[in-house]
Amino acid sequence: MEYAIQATDLSKSYGQGHTQVDALKGVNMTVRPGELFAIMGPSGSGKTTLLMILGLVTEPSEGRVLLEGQNIYNGTGLDLQRLRREKIGFIFQFSNLIPFLTAKENVLLSLELIGIFGRQADARAMELLEYLEVADRAGNLPEHLSGGERQRVAVARALANNPAIILADEPTAALDTERGLSVMRLLRKVSKEQGTAILVVTHDTRMISEVDGVIRLMDGRMVESDGSKQQSQPQSSR
Amino acid sequence: MNLAIKDIRYHLFKFITSTIGVGLILMVVLTIGGIIRGVILDSATIIQATGADLWVVEKDWLGPFVEISRLPEDYYHAIQAMHGVAEASPLATAWVHVERPFRPTPLMKFMYMNTVIGTRTMVRPGWMAIPHDLRFIVIGYEPGHIGGPPVIVAGRGIEASHYEIVADVRTGLQIGERIRMGDFDYTVVGLTKNMVAFTADPVIYATLDDAQNILFEADPDLLRNIRRRTRQQVLGAAQIAPRLSDPLANQASQIAENVSLVNAVAVKVKPGVPVETVAHEIERWKHLTVYTSAREVNMQLMGSNRLILLQLSLFRLILLVIAGVIIGLITYTFTLDKLKEIAVLKLLGTQTRRIYAMILEEAVLMGLLGTLLGATLEFASEPYFPRRVVATRGDVVQMLVVITVIAVLASIMAIRRATKVDPRSVLGT
Ligand SMILES: Nc1ncnc2c1ncn2[C@@H]1O[C@H](COP(=O)(O)OP(=O)(O)O)[C@@H](O)[C@H]1O
Ligand SMILES: [Mg+2]
Repeated sequence: MEYAIQATDLSKSYGQGHTQVDALKGVNMTVRPGELFAIMGPSGSGKTTLLMILGLVTEPSEGRVLLEGQNIYNGTGLDLQRLRREKIGFIFQFSNLIPFLTAKENVLLSLELIGIFGRQADARAMELLEYLEVADRAGNLPEHLSGGERQRVAVARALANNPAIILADEPTAALDTERGLSVMRLLRKVSKEQGTAILVVTHDTRMISEVDGVIRLMDGRMVESDGSKQQSQPQSSR
Repeated sequence: MNLAIKDIRYHLFKFITSTIGVGLILMVVLTIGGIIRGVILDSATIIQATGADLWVVEKDWLGPFVEISRLPEDYYHAIQAMHGVAEASPLATAWVHVERPFRPTPLMKFMYMNTVIGTRTMVRPGWMAIPHDLRFIVIGYEPGHIGGPPVIVAGRGIEASHYEIVADVRTGLQIGERIRMGDFDYTVVGLTKNMVAFTADPVIYATLDDAQNILFEADPDLLRNIRRRTRQQVLGAAQIAPRLSDPLANQASQIAENVSLVNAVAVKVKPGVPVETVAHEIERWKHLTVYTSAREVNMQLMGSNRLILLQLSLFRLILLVIAGVIIGLITYTFTLDKLKEIAVLKLLGTQTRRIYAMILEEAVLMGLLGTLLGATLEFASEPYFPRRVVATRGDVVQMLVVITVIAVLASIMAIRRATKVDPRSVLGT
């Protein structure tokens, strides 16, 4: 079965000499389409760094990333920006919707970036907002949405380009448990129904019930990869 | 979807206030330019309206406006007959003032007060008191020759040979009104406009004869002088016939008194004839000095006038630099405020050029709107200035170019800052 994303021996160091920080030390992981994984670990363990490398924002110091089978950091100067807008969806802690665009326009922008315009884009944006149950807020600016609504719109935006993988960095951290869980369930639904691979960084152990597996990081190393809920185990390191 | 427009819509208040700020600064820059041009145009008004190519004045005098030059009126016949001369017109000019209760408009009063308050220290209040007399320049011309009023906006031109005048509307005189100049009363029969001397004093047109009367009446010393000088010259020359010398001298001084003097002869050169050739010809013929019209205007912009223009121009440049810095700063801070959104846009994979376009479009749009607003305000306020203010479309275009360049430069700086944005800054910690 094809992997949505596959990382092999990922290492990342910041700085040099005695100020060098090894944020990641040989991480291996795979996520298949439709799988929802949580990344957990204490602060500073390398969760964001891992997400940035998988999200084509930061180059790893060592190792390989295959995105839908395509070797990303192979030194041939791929258009990462383009790959990002076509294959990856981001969800951030504070949703980070563009504040000067309405909920719908935020989704439209992502559609535009992959070349969908006009009526077709309009229909798709509304469809996504309806899917995430925020269609009635389509014309509102983010500042007029509640935190939960914002994250729903952010999920809609992340889905707009029909990504191979959605990367979410602590999307529930700014929400209360109730709303956090509801966003997690939404991601669960998205991964099952849309077949999107999703990686969620979270601190909240109560979210574990919603995911297919947990990738635990400690000082840049994977300490455990629990894929018990999934019929096929994701590969774990060494 | 145009990101710049959406962002402006969101920050509408900030954008509008910033644009108004830019517009007001540019209005001032445009106004100062207009003031400078106004002074220059005022200096050229009479010269241009006359349509003369050359101005013949008394030898070595900077006449006829800057200094009083005098030459016999009948010289113009000889000049008229010279090769290459299309027309020669004798002109008499006199500065005249009439006492008149000056009724300043509230705006004018405010401007006086404002000036007094603004220069409170070192300037005595009386120095800037509102004057009670109206000063103007009387231009006497031979009807039918050049030098008369270029347009009549009300009433008619001068038809009688005496006691009729055409006044500039700025004198405040009405048609039918009579004013006394010298020994006689003159009736306003027509009004002209935009005719002022380089001193900004409005013009009154009269016939040459009338102007000469006013001129000599205003200067009885001159008459006495002419009489005495002529008498002495004749006395010296007539020593061979001592008995005759005294009556001869008396006779001569009488004649001299009756010689009509003018201040200048305005000359129009035939098409195709070099102006310099005609000028040399006239200077060779008599002891006269001939100026081109350009030189005439240039002379009127001497001294205080010229230095004030240089000061204002410098001030305008300083203001423009300030405007540039402010517009630059506004553009830059507009971008700084959006760094987070720019980081998100980058993470979403937005094309870099699209992000740059957003920054650039906002800056340029603000510059354009600001300039248009400034220009509109400038044009609307021109009539309320005490002296002529003339900004042109060319000024606005020039301003648009300068402001666009500044906006682009500021955007480039802002964009350089934006490229340094770490997309990580919006990810969780
Ligand atoms: N740009 C950077 N420069 C230097 N060190 C960094 C940088 N980004 C992260 N680090 C370090 O790398 C380690 C992992 O950070 P991070 O991936 O943000 O962890 P987490 O998201 O799990 O809290 C931390 O020790 C952090 O200080
Ligand atoms: Mg983190």
